[in-house]
Amino acid sequence: MANYFNTLPLREQLAQLGKCEFMDPAEFTDGATYLAGKKLVIIGCGSQGLNQGLNLRDSGLDVSYALREAAIRDQRQSWKNATENGFTVGTPEELIPQADLVLNLTPDKQHSAVVTETVPLMKKNSCLAYSHGFNIVEEGMQVRDDITVIMVAPKCPGTEVREEYKRGFGVPTLIAVHEDNDPRGEGLAIAKAYAAGTGGHKAGVLMSSFIAEVKSDLMGEQTILCGMLQTGSLLCFDKMIEMNVEPGYAAKLVQIGWETITEALKHGGITNMMDRLSNPAKLKAFDLAEELKTIMRPLYNKHMDDIMAGDFSEGMMEDWANDDAKLLAWRKETGETAFETTPASDQEIPEQEYFDHGILMVAMVKAGVELAFETMTAAGIKEESAYYESLHETPLIANTIARKKLFEMNSTISDTAEYGCYLYNHACLPLLSDFMSRIDTDVIGRGLDLDDDGVDNQLLIEANRAIRSHPVEAIGQTLRGYMSAMKKIT
Amino acid sequence: MLNNIIFDRACIQFNESFSLREIDWVIEPGQVWAIMGASGSGKSALAAALAGAGRVTAGTLRGLVADTGVVSLESQAALIERERLRDDSDITDRINEGTPAREILDEVCANAKLQSRLTRLFGIDSLLDRGFGKLSTGETRKLLFIRALASKPDMLVIDGPFEGLDARTVPVISKILRNLANDLPMVLVINRLDELPEFVSHIALLEKGRIKTTVNSSDTTAMAALSQLFHLQTADIQIPAAIPGESAPPLDCNKPLVNIRNASVRYTDNLVFENLNWRIEPGQHWQLTGPNGSGKTSLLNLVTGDHPQCYVNDIFVCGHQRGSGESIWDIKQHIGYVSSALHWDYRVSISCKNVIISGFYDSIGLYAKATDLQQEIAVQWLEILGLQARAGQPFNQLSHGDQHLLLIARAMVKHPHLLILDEPCFGLDDLSRQLVLALIEKICGGSETTVIYVNHHAQDQINGINNYLTLDGAT
Repeated sequence: MANYFNTLPLREQLAQLGKCEFMDPAEFTDGATYLAGKKLVIIGCGSQGLNQGLNLRDSGLDVSYALREAAIRDQRQSWKNATENGFTVGTPEELIPQADLVLNLTPDKQHSAVVTETVPLMKKNSCLAYSHGFNIVEEGMQVRDDITVIMVAPKCPGTEVREEYKRGFGVPTLIAVHEDNDPRGEGLAIAKAYAAGTGGHKAGVLMSSFIAEVKSDLMGEQTILCGMLQTGSLLCFDKMIEMNVEPGYAAKLVQIGWETITEALKHGGITNMMDRLSNPAKLKAFDLAEELKTIMRPLYNKHMDDIMAGDFSEGMMEDWANDDAKLLAWRKETGETAFETTPASDQEIPEQEYFDHGILMVAMVKAGVELAFETMTAAGIKEESAYYESLHETPLIANTIARKKLFEMNSTISDTAEYGCYLYNHACLPLLSDFMSRIDTDVIGRGLDLDDDGVDNQLLIEANRAIRSHPVEAIGQTLRGYMSAMKKIT
Repeated sequence: MLNNIIFDRACIQFNESFSLREIDWVIEPGQVWAIMGASGSGKSALAAALAGAGRVTAGTLRGLVADTGVVSLESQAALIERERLRDDSDITDRINEGTPAREILDEVCANAKLQSRLTRLFGIDSLLDRGFGKLSTGETRKLLFIRALASKPDMLVIDGPFEGLDARTVPVISKILRNLANDLPMVLVINRLDELPEFVSHIALLEKGRIKTTVNSSDTTAMAALSQLFHLQTADIQIPAAIPGESAPPLDCNKPLVNIRNASVRYTDNLVFENLNWRIEPGQHWQLTGPNGSGKTSLLNLVTGDHPQCYVNDIFVCGHQRGSGESIWDIKQHIGYVSSALHWDYRVSISCKNVIISGFYDSIGLYAKATDLQQEIAVQWLEILGLQARAGQPFNQLSHGDQHLLLIARAMVKHPHLLILDEPCFGLDDLSRQLVLALIEKICGGSETTVIYVNHHAQDQINGINNYLTLDGAT
């Protein structure tokens, strides 16, 4: 199988990368009707698989689960999940041939095997849905001509997909149709109905392409989302230890700090995150972020270039073929870092203190989000995609660190994200060593110690203008506006 | 406890909107106190102050013991919230059934002997391997009791000792508490006068954050006056109208509203009930009873569609055979529903008025623009509940009892075809309880709404309910 993206002419590559638009809610007035009476079979009964299935069934659709014979025979957890929730369960041989729509909700790494086994069982003129396009775009999976291939990707974890649905709402969702596999031109109708069945249409649906989704997703996850947070965690923690900050406090400031800081990001973008700092701290964070952006820009460009050229996925698939040798070694290494092995203290840290004592962390988030966004849009990815794959998802990853630190974050995010994260981390640590040698605890660990909170008016105006006029802020305001217009009515 | 606990003109701040004011109160060794009062009067706050909560802004508070065990709706909510945060199914991609009860106890008590004595005492020794998420409301409550006792506290504060417990369990718990009270100082928050245990020696009556009076329970005259104070006139309540043309489509009145045939709910390791039949005709009000864990909530969730096994049972509800292509919203538009589970789930940032309006949309939170008429009706409901001043306040800043009242109004606001009230008086004080019972009676007297009512209190009978279904929990 060859990299699909690389087989396309430049004109087509650009057209696909530049695809992403917010769909009008009026396009969803028919809800899930297009799939009414059709048979939906889900492969994979983990968090996304189970929760999407529950929503689709509650929207009136006929949902069942195809599990391996051994999983059924041994009554494994996936079997228990499906049957206790009242779903029909069968082997792929039993269920797939009747399916009108097969939803592949397994992890990326299994896609090639799962799709290769499943497609021959699928009936003529049926439809295969992905929630991530790696298999099609990077692995070049070719699906039988008569089969429609679509993607529906809720931009939240599975439990949240379910919780929001039960409340009568949904989560933002990205949909796409694989143009090489849309023989009857019904791909969009199916994808829209599927998105509506999970409740996604209530929170906003973005129409994108397989290529835009994969290239932006890979870029986001390996740079700002996982890479920057991992690198930042290690650097900030080690610096604090070097400067004799109490280790338990340092561990907590970093572990919970990302989540607290990016919560502000989630609600009001970089502007609001920066506004949480005092004026002197904001100017400090602004300057640090500018410096970080200058140092790290070549690295972000390299990641984007490698993703576009297919070098990244090629390297990763080599490691897959080599039993994940590199990945596992890196994972082990992460587990043994000082940050990872130091327990966070029980000491209560007030919410505001995470900002005041974590100025460098704020700067890292700002630099990482802006760089990822700038690099993606410069490569032809639309602002909407770039926003979702950088700023929007940062709080979600920060949340996993708050709960389970890096080792757990890495063993549980997608395998593509983890591999990319380590690549970034190994390049970024040495890149920032000189920068870090000039850092002191005023920006990480203890906060500014000033008698006077005054700042120069002109400097503050310039910094605020630069923060507020960054393109990620404009698109962010629009996209968050779509959500909150529906969500928050006062 | 060897010393007195002394509140001397103590003002205690809890959050921006609530403080206890000028509390004068002395708890002596050997006394058992009950804190009583209307919802929002500060009962729970005063109890929490005994465990060190709040900030003393004036006066003094002396003599607090080091280790106070607390059982409360808040501690129950905290445990539920913790379990929710611990749910790592997105991370591990494995569905989490919750921490086993045993581990929840192990967290506070390494003494296996004490643990097993307590679990036997409360009768949940057979449930220890069950995940927290699979315990019933009453079972969770017992677990909290054990958790509080297992840490060998110097004092026990119980906010609503009998909330969520069935009629059979109340005397059991009451007896356990009476025995404990002999050598463990205890303060109870009691919502209903008829729940006041006879071993309580003193009562503190709260009003608007102040202690209005204290009563020695052996003083019969004072007790009679107290009972009078608790009596409420609920004569002339008018239920706000429905909105014409906006309610759910009419149902065929010749078909049953609910018809459940041969239903069962089972998990791989546990059968909740089986062979259950239940047919509800329009206008036929029902009361559902049964001990904790007998499956009342599961059964009701089969009706509302909140239990996933509704799709593998033969269930007809509000015009739809379940699993025939209807959506959950097709069902919910006909149903008003309130339960403690809904209350736990209702954690969104929203104003009190919008909580009521969300009942028009069957949503948790409000995601649509409310019409003027909906707003107007919501205001009428707020007046009935005496909460008009709180219309714009965030829901989560209200007391548990006031929150529950709002959720009851939310369930009733659209005049649903089917109104399901799963322990609607859960956590309510006498005044609110009588208001709620009067509202239910009004609705039962009308013709448009059929009521299913679940409760543990023999006293909370509703005129107009003549049909009874009892789950025996024999499994």
